[in-house]
Amino acid sequence: MSPTGCRRASNDATGRTVRRCLPTAKMAASGSCVLWSYCGHGWSRVMWCCRLPGFRSSWPGGPLGARHLSEEKRATETHFGFETVSEEEKGGKVYQVFESVAKKYDVMNDMMSLGIHRVWKDLLLGKMHPFPGTQLLDVAGGTGDIAFRFLNYVQAQHQRKQKRQLRAQQNLSWEEIAKKYQNEEDSLGGSRVMVCDINKEMLKIGKQKARAQGYKAGLAWVLGDAEELPFDDDKFDVYTIAFGIRNVTHIDRALQEAHRVLKPGGRFLCLEFSQVNNPLISRLYDLYSFQVIPVLGEVIAGDWKSYQYLVESIRQFPSQEEFKEMIEDAGFQKVTYESLTSGIVAIHSGFKL
Amino acid sequence: MATLLRRALRPFPPLQGPPGPAADVPLRAASHGAGLLYPEHIPTSPLQKALLAAGSAGMALYNPYRHDMVAVLGETTGRRALKVLRDQMRRDPEGSQILQERPRISLSTLDLGKLQSLPEGSLGREYLRFLDVNRVSPDTRAPTRFVDDEELAYVIQRYREVHDMLHTLLGMPTNILGEIVVKWFEAVQTGLPMCILGALFGPIRLSAKSLQVLVSELIPWAVQNGRRAPCVLNLYYERRWEQPLRALREELGITDPPCMSRAWPRP
Repeated sequence: MSPTGCRRASNDATGRTVRRCLPTAKMAASGSCVLWSYCGHGWSRVMWCCRLPGFRSSWPGGPLGARHLSEEKRATETHFGFETVSEEEKGGKVYQVFESVAKKYDVMNDMMSLGIHRVWKDLLLGKMHPFPGTQLLDVAGGTGDIAFRFLNYVQAQHQRKQKRQLRAQQNLSWEEIAKKYQNEEDSLGGSRVMVCDINKEMLKIGKQKARAQGYKAGLAWVLGDAEELPFDDDKFDVYTIAFGIRNVTHIDRALQEAHRVLKPGGRFLCLEFSQVNNPLISRLYDLYSFQVIPVLGEVIAGDWKSYQYLVESIRQFPSQEEFKEMIEDAGFQKVTYESLTSGIVAIHSGFKL
Repeated sequence: MATLLRRALRPFPPLQGPPGPAADVPLRAASHGAGLLYPEHIPTSPLQKALLAAGSAGMALYNPYRHDMVAVLGETTGRRALKVLRDQMRRDPEGSQILQERPRISLSTLDLGKLQSLPEGSLGREYLRFLDVNRVSPDTRAPTRFVDDEELAYVIQRYREVHDMLHTLLGMPTNILGEIVVKWFEAVQTGLPMCILGALFGPIRLSAKSLQVLVSELIPWAVQNGRRAPCVLNLYYERRWEQPLRALREELGITDPPCMSRAWPRP
């Protein structure tokens, strides 16, 4: 499946992925600081931590001259947290992680981030600033946090617009009045959100939440893979992916799919954990991540390993600048990012023009 | 202070195997093959153990159905007591055999047909009856994860699997009162902090009447028998299935439990 208007062949993006894996071997083999700068900044801290016997044993580790051949072999391997797995395996393992955390996903989010994740998601909606009539695709949106916020936002916008109309002493047409009495009025003004997730359990929890909180209109749930979306080209005004893209095996493919399904003029928004820019906060953050979060996972959800994967996968994700370049490679323009909470998360935005 | 912090954060160095990774960050590094002492092992730093101990204790009190939390509490707080137990086992001939042969009690290792065919009153038959009446299975025990020594991990696993045998030996059912009595017995026998905490805090959720019976009759009986009996982990139960339960109780000095009808008001 190749998207229309295909950009650079995925080799480069894959090549970049491969290059990310390689430095580990080189570093393990030689341990020299010179090679770290070659890996890209996002990796420098991970490399410092990664003097791992485990990694050493997983690479055949030839000298630099023999790297050409081993590049192809490594092309099918990727990271799962700090573990190295084949690309086929990764999808299945990530699926299992989210299947097991689905029930306690929201509780754990609140516990781990001390409720701050709600602020981040609100900020994402603020940046999106949707107006009534927007068609949103929320990928990896399992439990529906972004979708519900979107619905609230456009509903509030719609109400505000109506109030403004009334205040300006514009008379409502008799059709609008009749609709109001019959409760047929579309309180969302034509906005729709499609929640797409690869994991059935997460979607199930999302649907339960929607039922419990009374969200019905303008909401659809679809099972689908971010790397191969089940939608036509040029369909959506906005594409969001919140805390999901780091779990995708081929991020470049997901970005290309995002570009495909957006209408011209459509916007890509990504909320994701990123690199902390302040060294002191970074140390505290690492301490908290690795010491406290798996313990919270064990005590509250009875699941240490999934939360260990979570904090490791955050470290494996590219930095703000690198991710910005990946988004540009997929064909988006006017790509910007905004770091929140000292870079713990970042919102990346791009337009399909 | 920085060095103290670093020590608290480094995972406990395994007794065999390669040295663990430096500094605070990727403790799981060791769990990818190298550094694992046994299949389910998760290396943890002292800080993580402390947090786990506190968290699991709180969660076990808050939700008594979280048996996995009780298990985690036992693993994270029991290092010293486990060493004492292990040394006790080494000194005893039957105990050291257990340490060498590492028998496990699970549905796959038990020969249920053979146990069923044993005479009434034998240990095996009574154990089977206990499993049936209380609708429990030996396979519901969580594997050890947070103990940083492979032999001690086996000792605590053995302790968990022997817990059901203790119910049979003491004649206690698996309701909350019975569990507390067995916990008192185990606390005296093993000295595991988790047993002591369970024995002290378990009765919190009991009614006044049960509490009275517990304190006046059951606890003194359990403590007396716990003191008198030799270490129950030293018994190779798998070789004693045919032994009559009564004879085994005499051997261990366990007297009959207090009168059933009076002893079991609804908790």
